[in-house]
Amino acid sequence: MNAAWIARNVRRQVEAHPKMVVSTSVAFCLLALVAGGARLGARTVERWGAFVGQNVHLIVYFSGNVDEEQALGLRDILRRTPAVAQVAVIEPAQALARLTAAAATLRADAPVVDTLEPAYFPRSLEVSLAPAADLAQRAQDLAKRLRNVPGVSEVDAMTTGLARLSVWVKVGRTLGLVVLVALGLVALLVLVAVFLRGREAMARRAAVLVQLGDTEAAIRLPSALWTASAALVGGGMGACVLALAWRPLLGRLERSLGIASMLPSSPLAPAEIAAGLLLLVTAGLAMGYFATPLAATHDHA
Amino acid sequence: MPERSVRKVSGTAALPYDRVVLWLEGIGCQRHGKAVLDGVTFGVPSGELVVIEGSPASGKSTLLEVAATIRLPERGAVWFAGRNTTTLQQASLPFVRRNLGYYVADALLVEEDTAVDNVMAALAVRGEALKAAKAGALDSLALVRAADLADRAVASLSSGQKRMVALARTLAGPPPLVVADEPAALLGDEARAVVVAALAAARDLGSAVLVATADSALANALVAAGGRRIHLVDGRMVGAPAVELVPEPDYHEASREERPARLVSLDGDDQGSALEAPLSKGPR
Repeated sequence: MNAAWIARNVRRQVEAHPKMVVSTSVAFCLLALVAGGARLGARTVERWGAFVGQNVHLIVYFSGNVDEEQALGLRDILRRTPAVAQVAVIEPAQALARLTAAAATLRADAPVVDTLEPAYFPRSLEVSLAPAADLAQRAQDLAKRLRNVPGVSEVDAMTTGLARLSVWVKVGRTLGLVVLVALGLVALLVLVAVFLRGREAMARRAAVLVQLGDTEAAIRLPSALWTASAALVGGGMGACVLALAWRPLLGRLERSLGIASMLPSSPLAPAEIAAGLLLLVTAGLAMGYFATPLAATHDHA
Repeated sequence: MPERSVRKVSGTAALPYDRVVLWLEGIGCQRHGKAVLDGVTFGVPSGELVVIEGSPASGKSTLLEVAATIRLPERGAVWFAGRNTTTLQQASLPFVRRNLGYYVADALLVEEDTAVDNVMAALAVRGEALKAAKAGALDSLALVRAADLADRAVASLSSGQKRMVALARTLAGPPPLVVADEPAALLGDEARAVVVAALAAARDLGSAVLVATADSALANALVAAGGRRIHLVDGRMVGAPAVELVPEPDYHEASREERPARLVSLDGDDQGSALEAPLSKGPR
């Protein structure tokens, strides 16, 4: 195999068909964005799920005659329950402080909040359940049992919110999947169109080389090499775009959902990027190799 | 055996001059059920120019396609440098084709490449280093008086200029066997003289040159340049002496590489050369 000749053919093909090379790079960039986006998206959804799992699922309000000792007693009982992850007693003063802070964030009318006193707020327990697929159902079951406990005046199971969040996560996942599949199809269509468009010129070059006695591998290799290079460049561009744009985009989204400050962003690891690029380069190599049309010029066996 | 002179073909193998490069034996071809070639037998030793002359549709182009391994004959055998190409696998054909130059008037060229790139492709495929291939390509372009076209894209050339580039590619090296079908078609007198001179030059450098034409003037010019004429009428050779290959007495004792066989005419007029010679496989 004459490596210099192969390299020259690669350069000639790139010079002769720059649009084809650029389109191929763009298509591979799109594929990298789709694959990387899917990976990061799945990871984000997983984290959001964990975030939801760490939040308060039940609030147990005590009646006015329950003192701190009784509240702590119920807290200890709940802590021993397997489905419960965390329990905290919220004193009336603490509840008022939270409301005041929330009102300040929402720019609510401060004088109205100022008129409130800690005594208006009942002592309560905030219960976080262990993460599970049937979180809403578990919260409902536990709330039902807690309502029968003496001294408990009300239990907020927050089931509506949990159920709604679960539905939104499912819808988001489905929509994300549809968008990713559509983008992946667009990238593949671009690749197919690029190779169909350049097929005639590639076939002509291949026919010339067949007649001159070049081997099948030597004829196909230049196309395979430039396609693999385009895949590497496109994939690298996609990885760079994800690295630069993912954090700001995710940050903006999480801020809009009110969870920005609580979640660290998670870009792709170098090993993941390397594996992705390797996959794209292999795909490019195979695509370029087999896309070269090679007609037999002899009816030998 | 006469003393062998040896010429480097691809930098890795050698082809002795004194052997038959191409031997066609009882070639028969059909097209749409009608015989196009029937029992054609002849050989072309290295350093000889053979002109197949015949009217249009006499089977000349088919015969050249068979010789150039483009087409498989229904009957007979094609021996190229000692190998029967009709029994070769598809994967082996590139190693045969890179050792021959094949020219047709509508030869395929890579339009977006320059003329010199197109010509040097033939040498690079044989394993020549790029520098040597480019030098050889420029020599070949100069041989057909097309050196000034070297750096021009083929797409920008006229059809006549493209034919000269294709001829330069056919003669680049030159290869052990040159097969040219109507090499002067649609060319003016000046270009025609260049073609004759270039084919004769390839012959003088040791190539076996096989030319087919319906143009009597071209055939006469090639014969005047030392060519041997064979008439083809309705797929049959007419007036050519029947020939056979006669092995040397020690043929059966010799190893395959050493087996000599001599091409002689049946009337006893020795035509010259031995049949078997190693093919240049090149580094690929």
